[in-house]
Amino acid sequence: MFLGGPMLLGGGALLIAMIGGCGRPPELGPVANMATATKIRQSFNTAGGESTDTTGKASPAVASTGWGTLKGRFAFVGDPPRMGPYGVNKDTATCAPGGKPPLQETLLVDDSTRGIANVAIFLRKASRVHESAKPASTTVLFDQKGCTFLTHVLPVGVGQTMEIRNSDEVGHNTNIEGKNSFNQTIPAGQTLGFVPRKEEAVPQAVRCSIHPWMLAYYLPRKNGYLAITAKDGAFEIPNLPAGEDLEFQVWHESASGPSGALVVSTPAAQALKWSGKGRIKIRLAPDEVKEIEIEVPAKAFGG
Amino acid sequence: MMASGNYIKTRQLGCSRVAGMIFGLFLLLAGCEQAQPPAFRLNMVQMVSQETSTEYQQEIADVLGALFGTPDQPYALPETGLEQNRLNLAAGPAWSDREGTVHGLYRKHCVHCHGVTGDGRGPTARFLNPYPRDYRPGIYKFKSTYNSSKPSNEDLQAILVNGIPGSAMPSFALLPSSQRESLVEYVKYLSMRGQMETELINYVYDELGEEEGVRIPLDPAKDPEQREVMLEMLAEIADGWEEAPEQVIQAVQEQLPEENRPAEVVAVSVDKGRELFYGTRANCLKCHGPTALGDGQTDDQNVWNKTNKKFQEDNNRLADRIDRVRNTGGLDAEGREQLQADLLTLARREAIGARLYPVRNATPRNLRRGIYRGGRRPLDIYRRVHAGIPGTPMPGSGPASSDAQGTLTDAEIWNLVDYVLSLPYEAPSQPQRALPANALQIAR
Repeated sequence: MFLGGPMLLGGGALLIAMIGGCGRPPELGPVANMATATKIRQSFNTAGGESTDTTGKASPAVASTGWGTLKGRFAFVGDPPRMGPYGVNKDTATCAPGGKPPLQETLLVDDSTRGIANVAIFLRKASRVHESAKPASTTVLFDQKGCTFLTHVLPVGVGQTMEIRNSDEVGHNTNIEGKNSFNQTIPAGQTLGFVPRKEEAVPQAVRCSIHPWMLAYYLPRKNGYLAITAKDGAFEIPNLPAGEDLEFQVWHESASGPSGALVVSTPAAQALKWSGKGRIKIRLAPDEVKEIEIEVPAKAFGG
Repeated sequence: MMASGNYIKTRQLGCSRVAGMIFGLFLLLAGCEQAQPPAFRLNMVQMVSQETSTEYQQEIADVLGALFGTPDQPYALPETGLEQNRLNLAAGPAWSDREGTVHGLYRKHCVHCHGVTGDGRGPTARFLNPYPRDYRPGIYKFKSTYNSSKPSNEDLQAILVNGIPGSAMPSFALLPSSQRESLVEYVKYLSMRGQMETELINYVYDELGEEEGVRIPLDPAKDPEQREVMLEMLAEIADGWEEAPEQVIQAVQEQLPEENRPAEVVAVSVDKGRELFYGTRANCLKCHGPTALGDGQTDDQNVWNKTNKKFQEDNNRLADRIDRVRNTGGLDAEGREQLQADLLTLARREAIGARLYPVRNATPRNLRRGIYRGGRRPLDIYRRVHAGIPGTPMPGSGPASSDAQGTLTDAEIWNLVDYVLSLPYEAPSQPQRALPANALQIAR
């Protein structure tokens, strides 16, 4: 009895140690290697640090001139998904008139053209911006009616005013995620201004907390080099800088890539150097109008 | 007396010592040298969602180690504006020196709920409702500033002094204020570290990765450009915290309710507040319910739960896809390769998913109980109605910033404050004059 308890304890501990091992479970991720961390810290503390060759990285001094246009279309290959109705459980008189709730818009494929709507395609970095693509001083309307947002993916310039309108008889609130977080009540029939101040790398969700099924996206960008595909899947981005490599991000809310990246690996897509992050590379000649036709297999949406 | 496990001095001989020796022997045999010191953990939900490779995970951990140190040895670059002395007092194991100075305040008072990393995942966290705050996104609910702004030091101090009524967060009013200041500094430090982690994950995703099959490492020690980018990120994060005092919502003086108002004046204001509460402008009844019992809209989540919910939903979708592919069969080589990759991804994701706590919906406050998480003063309620509650479905009704347009006027917000503060004293069954005939229908 004298040693029994401790023995049992020790045995149990041994068993646990043997089963559990001494390492850390991989799902917790790695921890900092402090030797490496110390070296990094030193580089932050010594002004300038060890200057490595940055000369090789400098961008070519040759200035590009002229402007070109990129246009194209996204078409769905496979069985287009059927959108189910929203789970409307509040304010049914307004939100589901006649007992018929509106259909979801998470992946809209046009019946006749197979075009995919609401694909966002935008230039990641612009070396120069054409006059027509500079942020406009006008306001952009973001309306809601029948408890749906009337624009599903809204492009907006950084610093531009988004007029958030409520055209319903019921009250809403608009809850915007991301770097320009915003959440305010929008009374029935009223309009409120909201100005995003920071650029986002991908469209951000916009919701209404009173009617949580309501879902839209908005994309604040510093320049106008972005397009959201129309019902037939078509888009056009004019006045892009010509004579240099342009990298575009392609995004769709239901795409299965990371952060909504639309990833396509068809031969046509490979010609555009389509990456696993949904990015394509294009070079335009001055005054060129380049057209791309993208056939998107259902796989890109997790199908 | 100190209650820390590190400092229990055993003077008993015999049984416990023998047991200890045997235990030590067993540990040696099992191959563990020593208990590892507590380490900061990475945000694996975000890492895996953004497909951060294990190499990048290690590099991000190293950079965070460089910029913020370890739980035992915290570190703050001058850019953060954090005070190293305070961090030192708050960090590390709990003990007190001969002069009686208490060290390791965070581990003594906070870590059981909020966790070493400040991710709200301490050992007790799973059993609490609401869950302890995850500091890493830098979002705080109860504060004096505009919705999107950071809390001020005073706001965090107030939470430590008052605790959060209706939650497991206790009051630390009995601690000397210097200790609370150290804790506030440490909480801000954990937030900044978490915010920086998010920035680094985004940076790796946006700017690094493979170029023509060659991986671009995250190595600021070798790449001055990366160093510069990181200092900019850090400065932007620190700016958000530093400008908090300027973002405190200032109530309009002319519309402030007078002190010691006669009962009739308050009654008029309460009536106006009730009108707003049930009207379509303020819309309070939609979530707080027609009887203000907090039983209106209860289908939404706060941002912390929503993140986890999305992660689990993505896991389920991937599992469904794998099932579908397996059931169809007849895969070519490429399809089989894809399936193997998907299975690996799913295993990795599910291991992380299994550690997450069950998702809980946001509960609108039951306003008849008289328990107010962010404080019960009229000014506290005013701030909740004005700015909303960040990270939750609760929207603001005042202007979103000093130059923005509000939904309600300050006077109207004060009417709502009067009504809300009157609710615990009004019987729910009492006829409500301003309740529209179809209130129940609207709420449904």
